Amino acid sequence: MANDDDVPDVPVSGLNRRGFLGITAGGAAATSLLTLSSKASAATPRVLGPNAVPIQLKVNGTTKTVKVEPRTTLVRALREQLGLTGTKVGCDRGACGACTVHVDGAPHLACTTLALEVGDREITTIEGLAKGQTLHPVQQAFIEEDAMQCGFCTPGMLMSCAALLARDKTPDRAAIRTATSGNICRCGTYPKVFTAVMKASGQKPDEGWSLETRTPKETAPPPAGTAWVGIAGGATSAELRTIPENEAKPWPMNAGLAVVGKPVARLDGRAKVTGTATYTADVTLPGMLHAKRVVSPHPHAIVKRVDTKKAEKLLGVKAVFVVKKQEGATLVDPSTEKNGTYPRVRYAGQCIAAVAATTPDIAEEAARLIEVDYDVQPAVTSLDAAMAANAPLVYPARVNMGGSAGGGGAARDLAQKGNLRGPTQQSEGNVDTAMAAAPIKASGTFRTQVQTHSPMETHGIVADWKPDKLTVYVSTQGTATVRDEFATVFDLPKPKVHVICDYMGGGFGAKFGAGHFGIVAAELSRRAKAPVRMVLDRREQHQAVGNRPGTTQDLALGVNRDGSLAAIDLVAHGTGGIATGAGVGWAAARLYPSPAVRARQFDVFTHAGPGAAFRAPGQPQGMFALDQLVDELAEKLGMDPLDYRDKLDVDGIGGGLVQPDRIARKMERRIGAERIGWAKRHAPGAGKGPVKYGVGVGTSMWRRIVDMDSACEVRVGKDGSVQVRSSVMDIGTGTRTVLAMLLAEDFGLEPSQIDVKIGDTQWPIGPSSGGSKTLVGITPAVRQATHEVKQKLFAAVGKKLGVDPKELRIGTGSGRGRVESVKDPSKNLAWKQACATIPTDELAAIAQRPADWQGPPANGYGGVQFAQVAVDVETGVVRVLKIVAVQECGRLINPLAVQSQINGGIIHGISYALFEDRRLDPATGRVLNANLDQYKVLGSKDTPFIDIVLLDQYVGLTNTDAHGIGEPANVATASAVANAVYNAIGVRIRELPMTPRAVLAALRKGKSA
Amino acid sequence: MKNFEWVQPATVADAVAALAHPGAMALAGGVDLLDRLKERIAAPSRLVSVRKVAGLDELVVDRNGAKIGANVTLAQIAAHADLRRAFAIVADAASHAATPQLREMATLGGNLAQRPRCWYFRSEEFHCKRKGGSTCFALDGDNSMHAIFGNKLCAAPHPSTVVTALVALGAKVAIAGKTQRDVELAKFFVAPEQDITRETVLEPDDLITHVTIPPIPSTTRTAYTKQVAKQSFDWPLCDVAVALAMDGRVCRQATIVLGAVAPTPMRATAAEKLLANATVDIVAAGRAARAAISSATPLAHNDHKVAILEAVIARTLLAAVGATNPQVASGGQP
Repeated sequence: MANDDDVPDVPVSGLNRRGFLGITAGGAAATSLLTLSSKASAATPRVLGPNAVPIQLKVNGTTKTVKVEPRTTLVRALREQLGLTGTKVGCDRGACGACTVHVDGAPHLACTTLALEVGDREITTIEGLAKGQTLHPVQQAFIEEDAMQCGFCTPGMLMSCAALLARDKTPDRAAIRTATSGNICRCGTYPKVFTAVMKASGQKPDEGWSLETRTPKETAPPPAGTAWVGIAGGATSAELRTIPENEAKPWPMNAGLAVVGKPVARLDGRAKVTGTATYTADVTLPGMLHAKRVVSPHPHAIVKRVDTKKAEKLLGVKAVFVVKKQEGATLVDPSTEKNGTYPRVRYAGQCIAAVAATTPDIAEEAARLIEVDYDVQPAVTSLDAAMAANAPLVYPARVNMGGSAGGGGAARDLAQKGNLRGPTQQSEGNVDTAMAAAPIKASGTFRTQVQTHSPMETHGIVADWKPDKLTVYVSTQGTATVRDEFATVFDLPKPKVHVICDYMGGGFGAKFGAGHFGIVAAELSRRAKAPVRMVLDRREQHQAVGNRPGTTQDLALGVNRDGSLAAIDLVAHGTGGIATGAGVGWAAARLYPSPAVRARQFDVFTHAGPGAAFRAPGQPQGMFALDQLVDELAEKLGMDPLDYRDKLDVDGIGGGLVQPDRIARKMERRIGAERIGWAKRHAPGAGKGPVKYGVGVGTSMWRRIVDMDSACEVRVGKDGSVQVRSSVMDIGTGTRTVLAMLLAEDFGLEPSQIDVKIGDTQWPIGPSSGGSKTLVGITPAVRQATHEVKQKLFAAVGKKLGVDPKELRIGTGSGRGRVESVKDPSKNLAWKQACATIPTDELAAIAQRPADWQGPPANGYGGVQFAQVAVDVETGVVRVLKIVAVQECGRLINPLAVQSQINGGIIHGISYALFEDRRLDPATGRVLNANLDQYKVLGSKDTPFIDIVLLDQYVGLTNTDAHGIGEPANVATASAVANAVYNAIGVRIRELPMTPRAVLAALRKGKSA
Repeated sequence: MKNFEWVQPATVADAVAALAHPGAMALAGGVDLLDRLKERIAAPSRLVSVRKVAGLDELVVDRNGAKIGANVTLAQIAAHADLRRAFAIVADAASHAATPQLREMATLGGNLAQRPRCWYFRSEEFHCKRKGGSTCFALDGDNSMHAIFGNKLCAAPHPSTVVTALVALGAKVAIAGKTQRDVELAKFFVAPEQDITRETVLEPDDLITHVTIPPIPSTTRTAYTKQVAKQSFDWPLCDVAVALAMDGRVCRQATIVLGAVAPTPMRATAAEKLLANATVDIVAAGRAARAAISSATPLAHNDHKVAILEAVIARTLLAAVGATNPQVASGGQP
């Protein structure tokens, strides 16, 4: 990091070091400074560059010297030279707002500003927003309102909000939406940003974005040998459970707890709002190199020659690596393809080689000097074309592909014909017979687009290969899954791979493994014997590191005259490009029981970038089809769509217990119907005027996934300090805070008193953050470790005080913060006093997650969402005005963070339903909109009102009963919007996204039909 | 991006002289140019920063109309009370462009001189006609966002929304170069048929100094609409600016300018003729809109733009005479 005295000593034409130093005072502008020193005539402006020149920047009230080339952007000068890494690079093309800083008080994009252009202007970055330790009011409000998730967009978002408040003391809703419309938050935290700005300006927060949590009133612990089962608003009961003697006892329901279930501001809020949270691209190691990849511009080619000589000769290049291992699926018989030295190119954007150099610019130049000869082959880039009989083949013969921790992959050794692999098949009963006999049917073909994850932080890694150890700092959802992949690929023992992820800027399913790019970075580091940072750019992000596959589904439902299901038949074709795993989930096959069910799902290979797990893989696609057909059936039967769903939500065929999700959904439909005004909705297409309004319902469903690789360590120090450590990381959902809440609950402390260390494989291995399984996995382990340490503490206290440890307990109510004796209040000790009895420096326990207790296996969980939309039938523009989400997700741990995640799931869902669509050039397979302006992600002005009702739910399966909410919040939205659009215009849209083009086409077709 | 030299002249004469350097390009707000440098579809040897050129930052509105310096930002145009009072559609168009940050950075001169946003043109991997190649890749490729008029040679739609409003008001561009000249904004833009390698009449050493808008009579009614699919930062499906010279309820002369639907901002002359000496009501507006789109030549994936344009023309005409459907005006937001 440069400071005022650290003047670079590169020669600058006409300007020597002394001449420069002589006039540094006062922060003169670059030009005047140079003019003075070079004695040039004022009339003849001095030409700078192309070599680097020292200039001064006035940043956060201080004059700093930086050395810039004319091409150096402000964001790079700030980050790379001044170490001000709070300003983020999201797209580097002026479209996302992550790099927003103030220039003379106005919000500017530092990625699209040359440093030379602002030498005479006042620059304020996120690091300069607070006054010393006193946060700007809007920073404080962001923390209190939880106006952040992953935190990567937060600095830029804050700078836009602060600029607004500087010129408008009491901005209204429209002004706030406008001011933030240049800042993309992929986590979808806009509602809380609006609320935070209102709060910071002393205004009453908007009622359009609200949360109501409902929890049962019971406060008592469950009787011994039982756990509470039930849901807010429904029946609750203590059910028998076999709970091991040494396990943490079940908690009371939330009404009986002090911390859990109450809103808690996230512990890392301050780090995120001040720009000090360290993301992968912010990590700088001594001697670190910068990497750049060479990728194929062709979707299908045999690589004939790769010549790296020119690149190797470029000054500053330290390593060059040519890819040898094939990306994507693996041919069962490799001899079926002839490729020569290099892997076959199967998509435009596939990595051919990479370089590591001393600067990013040299790396970029070197990458361009690598010569590659391609023998271009015929390619197929769309799902429909790939299914044709004579289509070019992506793989010449059968392949297999393992999944990552977040999904993807597919069953091994499935049939493969042409580009079709599969089907995976699920079948019960005789569908053909049942369908033929069904008196009422509904069927349709539904198409969904390719959606890219587009996290605000692109994939990135800093790989540091040392002879004895590989250390990687990586933007990941799973530290352990990254460790495991590196260990496998490089044949290293797991302890020799150290993975660190302190903060990460969003993943949504695309960041579980080491990634091809990560392995390339590690190879470069090994060759260069130096740390290597590789951060993909936005184009690479869209091309190469995952997407939600595009699908075509043919779904048919056959029902009896009373509406009960007789047969469900699904044929799905999905394309994850060169990857497998493009299914449409299990909505059709599992949401509603039917005596005859058949789901056949095919992967269709195309010459396109690989798909990956993406927030509820398959489910939004599948639900988009199912929820619309169920609505159609309701209409055919003359039933209200909600009543009809209640009818379908029957208990499992063949008996069995009542499923908690079915009980929940029936309640949720009634609650949501009231709040959206369901009773007032009109007949489909009945509105007057060009803008038509509609209301629709969608259904969520997700599996409760248990990851037993969930462990943690809890340490209590003699000084009273409490720490919990696990490799589990916080993707932005608030896991860090949840861990603190659990310990605070069981130790009678405040969450802020708990030191949480996560995101590092040196600590006990926790689950990856995906599949909504993080809390299902880690929280029982945390309670167990806490329980074990607590027993040790009670033993120490008991010994010291001469009481039986069994008489000791953590105080509740007014006794919180104490270790109490149930028999003798005179023996009560404050927490610190109790810890002082510890005979050694600390007490510690590592616990694995205890197994689930026996109980009814849940079918799933989720919720119901309602959408209100406006459709302009002349322009085809759809606007979502309001979403009501009534959700259950097990025991509520932190409602504040749950609300943020549900907001985000909904906003993701609307963005998917209306805007996002990766466009491939049909001829070349190149991503045409590999940016964040033409790849359209929902923004602040498109954020509807969101009204959330959370139902606290207990299934009595673990000592916390925590579930996740990330996926279920996303599943219902697109189908709710689709049903609302139908209600508005009376025509079904069976494709996503519902763009003006799609809506107008459907209206035309509907009119002619 | 490739490196280059940088110079920051203080006068128009110095700027023009600096631009005469082979391979030099003018840098204003940088919004368009930096993207092109990063995508490597522009590789200047020298950037001439015009930000400090004296006199380019003035914005004057008086009886003679408006004079807006080339360095005035879109944010300044949007926020200027006198300009909004006199020429509301210009302020409207500026306030709906891009994002708040980009509006703070983007200058009027840069906005006029920006190059197409066609995704083929913007990619180094497609050597299209505008870059000296022989193919318009959009014609047989994905042309969903492309032009529906004048798209035989190049289908890239014109990206500026501010010019749509300025053309409707008869604005002129003042250019300094080898010669100082004023050019009607409508003639400032170059159609692909004239010269496919450029979008404006600017020569390499030309510098836009300012734009003037002539005064309009108080009886002239104007309106502007930018139609987007997404409300937060979206390129327009189309934008429409109208200026109607009214005589009571009768329109004597109509100017209708269509943006984002042709390689240049486009006058809807057939529609203008229909409205001359006509009462602008829902029937006449609809008829004019239909006339405007009758010559459209949509491509394989963008016929929706024709229907949308028709609706937006009619709505904008009605808005100009104060007959806006409130439901439409709110965008459906209750």
